[in-house]
Amino acid sequence: MRKIHFPTVVLIALITLALAIGLSGCGGGPTPQISATQPPAKTQAPQVTEVIEPSAPPPEPTVAETAVETAAVSESNSITILIPEDPPSFNAVVGDTGYDALVMNLVMLGLTGVDPKGNVYPELAAELPTSENGGVVVDEEAGTMDVTWKLRQDVQWADGTPVTADDVVFTWEAIMNPDTGIWVRGSDYVDSAEKIDDYTMVFHYNTIYPGYLIQLGGEQLVVWPSHYCNADEGFTAWECARQPLSDGPFILNEWTVGDHMTFERNPNYFEAGKPAIDQVIVRTVPDESVRKQMMMQGDADLIMWATEPVVTDLKDKPGINISISPYARWVMRLFPNQAAKGTTDPDASPHPVFSDVRVRRAVRMAIDVDTIANEIFLGYGKPVWSEFYRPPYACDVPRPQYDPDGAKALLDEAGWKDTDGDGIRECHGCETAKEGDLMKVDFYTYAEYGEPLELTQQYIAENLKNIGIDSQLTIYEGSVMWADPESGGIEQNGDFDLDLWDDGYSGIDPTDYLWELYYSSAAEPGNGWNIVRWKNEEFDALLDEAYSLDEARRKEIFCRMAEILDEEVPVIMMFSTINADAYATRLQGIQSNINDVVSWNAADWKVTQ
Amino acid sequence: MAQYIARRLLQAVLLLFVLSIVMFALVNLAPGGPLAGQGQTRRVRPERVAMLKRQFGLDKPLPTQYMIWLVGNDWMRVDLDGDGKPDEYGTRRGVLRGDFGFSFRTRKPVLEEISLRLSNTFYLTVVTLLVAVIIAVPVGILSALKQYSSFDIVATTFSFAGQAIPEFWLGLILILIFYAWLKNPFTGEPLLPSGGMYSLGGEFSIPDRIVHLVLPVTAGALGWIAWYSRFLRSSMLDVLHQEYLRTARAKGLKESRVIYKHGLRNALIPMVTMFALDLPYLITGAVFIETIFSWPGMGRLYYQSAMQRDYPVLMAILIISGALMILSNLAADILYGFLDPRIRYD
Repeated sequence: MRKIHFPTVVLIALITLALAIGLSGCGGGPTPQISATQPPAKTQAPQVTEVIEPSAPPPEPTVAETAVETAAVSESNSITILIPEDPPSFNAVVGDTGYDALVMNLVMLGLTGVDPKGNVYPELAAELPTSENGGVVVDEEAGTMDVTWKLRQDVQWADGTPVTADDVVFTWEAIMNPDTGIWVRGSDYVDSAEKIDDYTMVFHYNTIYPGYLIQLGGEQLVVWPSHYCNADEGFTAWECARQPLSDGPFILNEWTVGDHMTFERNPNYFEAGKPAIDQVIVRTVPDESVRKQMMMQGDADLIMWATEPVVTDLKDKPGINISISPYARWVMRLFPNQAAKGTTDPDASPHPVFSDVRVRRAVRMAIDVDTIANEIFLGYGKPVWSEFYRPPYACDVPRPQYDPDGAKALLDEAGWKDTDGDGIRECHGCETAKEGDLMKVDFYTYAEYGEPLELTQQYIAENLKNIGIDSQLTIYEGSVMWADPESGGIEQNGDFDLDLWDDGYSGIDPTDYLWELYYSSAAEPGNGWNIVRWKNEEFDALLDEAYSLDEARRKEIFCRMAEILDEEVPVIMMFSTINADAYATRLQGIQSNINDVVSWNAADWKVTQ
Repeated sequence: MAQYIARRLLQAVLLLFVLSIVMFALVNLAPGGPLAGQGQTRRVRPERVAMLKRQFGLDKPLPTQYMIWLVGNDWMRVDLDGDGKPDEYGTRRGVLRGDFGFSFRTRKPVLEEISLRLSNTFYLTVVTLLVAVIIAVPVGILSALKQYSSFDIVATTFSFAGQAIPEFWLGLILILIFYAWLKNPFTGEPLLPSGGMYSLGGEFSIPDRIVHLVLPVTAGALGWIAWYSRFLRSSMLDVLHQEYLRTARAKGLKESRVIYKHGLRNALIPMVTMFALDLPYLITGAVFIETIFSWPGMGRLYYQSAMQRDYPVLMAILIISGALMILSNLAADILYGFLDPRIRYD
């Protein structure tokens, strides 16, 4: 040991280095199967680097093989998509990160999809079931319904097996398994799923559920192959969600976890002549400015979910286009707690400031939404003042005025006056607080959104200061903000005065979303997300009635709700944020979609040049 | 010696046990939980929360959760469907039998998650530390030998800068210069890649690998170079003023022999401790470097697990790096005995 000289140390070091390179060379690192001339591996089962063993037997290479082998991938017909984090799996409903939905759309099909305007279109379904075509049969007396789905008969999995009703029923039963399944929207309403014949199956509902069209479709759910997925592993954990068997436009070829995935064109995709692109590469690039640089250098063709600053920087660059979806989904909003901070019962312990509706209205008047939308959100924020701001349920509600003087007058009227001249109002004859109490609130937002939201919080605090409300600002992690009551969730436990975050719904049916946010029994901790603890009997009754298939009546109901929400201001809606994707101009067919992620129509994409 | 090592190993096991309890408590008691704020979901439906809680085993009291984490639950019946009645035997075998559970995020075994990243991180950090040591040692020696020379002043300036410049800033600047601005004069392509471990779609090639290493290693090594060279400089300066060097010179030894045989060897002894304590870094990685250079390593995994409260992954990384820390401490102490004959362990 004592005889070691420097050269020896260096030698050892070099050996270690060589080992390290070798180690990652043969194991974790490069598995360079795909090149312009190389055909993909023989089996259709994609390779997830290193340790993941196929749980189900790899599907037999069949018809697909020869076609894939001959399809040489030319670089010009290959596109690269950049995302900030690795998808947890191909099963988007489990992780709900959006990046899982991106790759899921490339390889899997659901019964239906939803386009940017909110129209549902059939994927695996031969047609959309409706009352008119007999697909939906309502039992008015029992308050139940049956929905019959007829499947296309020309879709097959990549191993040549046809997609049948067995797969649909199998998927549904896997979801509903309490040990290994997961709660999905509408799952409380479905009693059972039943196969009629190979291409027909029925969902039996125990209620009238207007969202039935996306029961096994939309942005989160797809149909899984019953002969390939292992039900014992369970819906949330099964291996086929890491090595999916494709029935969509592309086939996963290789996944190096944390780094990239490559997809090849599915030669047996059911839509003739599609997809037009031979290869899709999805790369994980965590840093936003690096993603931006790669886009500008032409090393990438698509950035999913471009934020306002990225859109601003990229929109005028040559060779880059931005797709902004016609409607936005996420609406920034303030949640004024109507129960005293730390409590959850607004009747037993009303909030000293916000339980008075005049104060909530005054706050709404005091916020300069246009300045925030234009300055902080760079002109891409769009003022929104109603839950019903986009089709199919857009209601005509007059926009509240930005009027700080009016807000001050309203606070005076509510008994909040600044008599000692320190700029903060005190209670002098107010109905909800003790005489002389300061008008002071704790004001929280969440960290993950980043700088724009921090600036917005500060700006709103200035707006509030301007009308005499003092606020203490804090920023929490999302995992603290929205945790369940036992884990100390701030929202669930009512541990706040005023909160700022974004929310909204995707898809076609707002009823469940409205229930969670505004229904009175959703105000109980651990029961829903009515975290402002607002209760309104008329609203509850309207919502109960909205679980109906009578579209005309539903529109009336929603617009009456819009009026109630406008009057009562349980939540102060401010503006919607951008939903955009940046893409290279050589890539055509990109349509940003709030009801799904950008890859919803990947089969229709083309590369020009 | 053997007795000493045995005693230290026993202590290490006890220490790890205590550490695991403390870590488990801290990780679980930190505000927030794994069932919120995941991905796009702000509001997770309570029905779903309840279901996941059971599936993740979070519905049990914390001591029970720790027990299951440590020794598994395949010897007891667990309630999976939430009816309050135990159904069947669990499937967890516990950390003591090598089962770190499954990731809440991907529902895959934790060790699988880690193994997919570990070699990538090891590859980057070994190269980074080697480059750092190869540069830092000569710089440190020269700085000490020629104290207050212009070389020393320049080296000192750089090392202060190196310690002060944040990695993420340096990384972005390097990408801007070598990826966005400078072009390869022959191909017109960016001079260096913006990140990743290798070019996609190409064959394995050493030059390609090296090209991808240049920027992350530069950004990562600078801080280490600064740190080690400063440390070696001061430890060398200490040694240079020792009596035994004067004795060596008085014996008529050549100056190079005095410096390298009698001086450097002694100056390197404290470096061993330093280096040993830095070894866990080889496994845990650097979150900023990995994030900026799109390197699929452990640092990012750790950060993501912490943000999303992926307790099993978090615990595994903490315990593994804790064990490494304890072991490398022990290794440093043992090495000391070999390097410095004045130290005896009894």
